[in-house]
Amino acid sequence: MIDEALEHLVKGIVDNPDDVNVKEKTHRRGTTLEVRVNPEDIGKVIGRNGRTAKALRTVVSALAGRSVRVDLIDTDEVR
Amino acid sequence: MPDVTEVVEVEGTEEKTAKAPKSVAKLEEEGDIAADYLEGLLDIADLDGDIDIDVENGRASLAIVGGKLKHLVGNEGEVLDSIQELTRLAVQTSTGDRSRLMLDIDGFRAGRRKELTALAEKMAEQAKTTGSSIKLDPMNAFERKIIHDTIQTLGLTSESDGEDPNRFVVIYPA
Repeated sequence: MIDEALEHLVKGIVDNPDDVNVKEKTHRRGTTLEVRVNPEDIGKVIGRNGRTAKALRTVVSALAGRSVRVDLIDTDEVR
Repeated sequence: MPDVTEVVEVEGTEEKTAKAPKSVAKLEEEGDIAADYLEGLLDIADLDGDIDIDVENGRASLAIVGGKLKHLVGNEGEVLDSIQELTRLAVQTSTGDRSRLMLDIDGFRAGRRKELTALAEKMAEQAKTTGSSIKLDPMNAFERKIIHDTIQTLGLTSESDGEDPNRFVVIYPA
């Protein structure tokens, strides 16, 4: 659920929603959500002073009821 | 670098520098886009809640009511502010224009409004009686606006001072 929720939140605020991909990784110390977006959108997802990234993290942790790590990844590195 | 545009965007006393007001139709469109975004979130999270859409004071205004939504408000409305921020961005992405929409969940802002109006009235009275200005605790933009609006209605003046997140209101006598 939490990966879907984050995907929805991010898709709504970027120009290239089809390029949004969220992967959930569970490890001993909790959950990490890896978010990949189009390179053009990375600034939007981070926001001024990291404000948008912080909002995403706050909402995701609230929905999950625990602290969830959110990593933003620029797909430029892969392509 | 001080972030001036943000202050202009949200704060009541500085709003006159903003662009021409948006039409009601435009604000209704903002409300619809925002509601879709929020509804999608509620669906995925399997949360019950009705979304009321309204236009007031030149802004789209949305409220999610019903259901178990306390965790979406968070401590001092921290989660609520984050959801509002993301919803504004979703609207902006869709329309190309910045949005100043207001979101309430579970009546949190409505309750806060009541408290702050009462506080402003009490402090205004105190400023008048003592004849000296009164500094309030730091507040966010939404809260400061409520104080400014109340003080203005009472015929006194107030100003914001300091930098976020420690920006606070000063109330002046007469």
